[in-house]
Amino acid sequence: MRVILAEDSTLLREGLVRLLAEEGHEVLAAVGDADALLREVEAHAPDVVVTDIRMPPDHTDEGLRAAVRIRELRPEIGVVVLSQYVERNYAAQLLTSSAERVGYLLKDRVAQVEEFLDALERVHAGGAAIDPEVVRQLLIRTTHVDPLTRLTPRERTVLEALAEGHTNAAIGEKLHISLSAVEKNLNAIFDKLGLHRTTGYSRRVLAVLRYLES
Amino acid sequence: MRVAGVLVGCLTALLGLLYFVVAGAALGAFLLWPRTRVRAHALLAAGARRLTALERGRRSLFFHDVFPEHRADDRQTLRYLAARTYSGLLCAVVVGLVDFGAVLAGIFAVGLTRSSMTWVDVLSQVVLGGTLLFLAVQGLRALTEQDARLARECFGPSERELLQRRIDELATSRAAVVRAVDVERRRVERDLHDGVQQRLVALAMLLGRARRGRTPERADALLEQAHKEAQEVLTELREVAWRVYPTALDSLGLREALGGVSERCAVPVRMEYDVPDPLPSAVETAAYFVVSEAVNNAAKHAAADEISVRVRQRGATLLVLVRDTGVGGADPAGSGLTGLGSRVAALDGTLHVDSPLGGPTTITAELPCA
Repeated sequence: MRVILAEDSTLLREGLVRLLAEEGHEVLAAVGDADALLREVEAHAPDVVVTDIRMPPDHTDEGLRAAVRIRELRPEIGVVVLSQYVERNYAAQLLTSSAERVGYLLKDRVAQVEEFLDALERVHAGGAAIDPEVVRQLLIRTTHVDPLTRLTPRERTVLEALAEGHTNAAIGEKLHISLSAVEKNLNAIFDKLGLHRTTGYSRRVLAVLRYLES
Repeated sequence: MRVAGVLVGCLTALLGLLYFVVAGAALGAFLLWPRTRVRAHALLAAGARRLTALERGRRSLFFHDVFPEHRADDRQTLRYLAARTYSGLLCAVVVGLVDFGAVLAGIFAVGLTRSSMTWVDVLSQVVLGGTLLFLAVQGLRALTEQDARLARECFGPSERELLQRRIDELATSRAAVVRAVDVERRRVERDLHDGVQQRLVALAMLLGRARRGRTPERADALLEQAHKEAQEVLTELREVAWRVYPTALDSLGLREALGGVSERCAVPVRMEYDVPDPLPSAVETAAYFVVSEAVNNAAKHAAADEISVRVRQRGATLLVLVRDTGVGGADPAGSGLTGLGSRVAALDGTLHVDSPLGGPTTITAELPCA
């Protein structure tokens, strides 16, 4: 896939470029701030953009604002933002339009090379990649919400994997259960949460996240 | 001296009384008539001001009171003169009573020698005289204190004002300290997240790439890089920790810690250190940060080619002076220098920055060591 990187730490940026190159991806550009990112995206039309949230000049949410803009202008480009910590607001801003071709990962996740590459692939394929930590915190914060407490521990782990953006097959693999067991669990979750059964996993992620945020 | 001051005070009180009687008789009618009241009042106050100046001179001469330049308004002057006249007259009465008592005691003593008094009479006289003497002395003490207080209220900042001023100072410095701590905490957070954390992520990524390495040679090369990176992270972490608090201050003392500052500095630093007594640790810490911040600023922004640092103890004050040969123009309102100012102000010290455009820059801190 063709990728554009925005990350102000040279060390990390270079590491990412090497990593992606080694994995056979094409890095079209690697920049250090949000303005340059927008320019490069305009010039190259990449498949996926990976951007840090905190970047110069203010070190607040420049990367996130750029990501939201890219999603508005070019919805066909996948966007993965890297966040220093879990910021509920940021995640919500990024996910309000849709949960397709979007990722929100904690920066440390980059260190887990396989997971990072996997998340990138998912976003490229049109799905979502939400950091497990983000999902976990959202779930913790909403345990007081009634319907969630009705889930069994197994259903809970399935929901977490679902919210991260995994496909049914991936969930089965991850939790070492059969595909039909995953589907059974999902149906139970949708029933308990009162969600309509739909196909397309990103729609389900969106539904889950929206629900968790309410 | 003080006794003379009190006695003179009785005389000036008489003068005050005289003034009020004479001026009151002369101006009384005008004071009552609304049209002339303002002028008459001003006239009265002008006279009162002369007498008040006399009182001020008396306080300075006999009691060595030092008053700041402080101009009381008309109301204050008149009120002071009135109160002072009253207390001075009272004082004169008490002094008169003491004199009278002394005369009585003399007569009593003479009577005792040729006396026909019983011991009960003697005892009752002694007890009575002693009690009256005690009361008189107490009265005099209270009156002299009252006199001093009145003078302070009129001529200088009263205790209330001084307290209020001190409270204001403390409130300001407390707010500044809180702010400075916040700024510093943010800086530490920034150092950790944008420095150490990034390096650790990069390190972990190197290791991840090594694990996925297609060939053993490639994996080895990446591992070696990771090893080097790990050592650099350690150095960086140590530096961040050092910026939070220099551990050398605890173990080796200010002198050694400052030596470390000059060693790490790219610009040559000339250090003069003359502190005979051990310093309180808060003072050491503040002095350390003043020097390290000033030296770092000079090396980073001032393009200086020499920096001199002087740390001296003068009595109960530690003087810290950092001078560089750079281009000057340091902004005392900048975040770094404001933070230093707050740190110094928290110890009741002062920080002075002299940095004209074109240089040189001199930063002076005075830190009380008590």
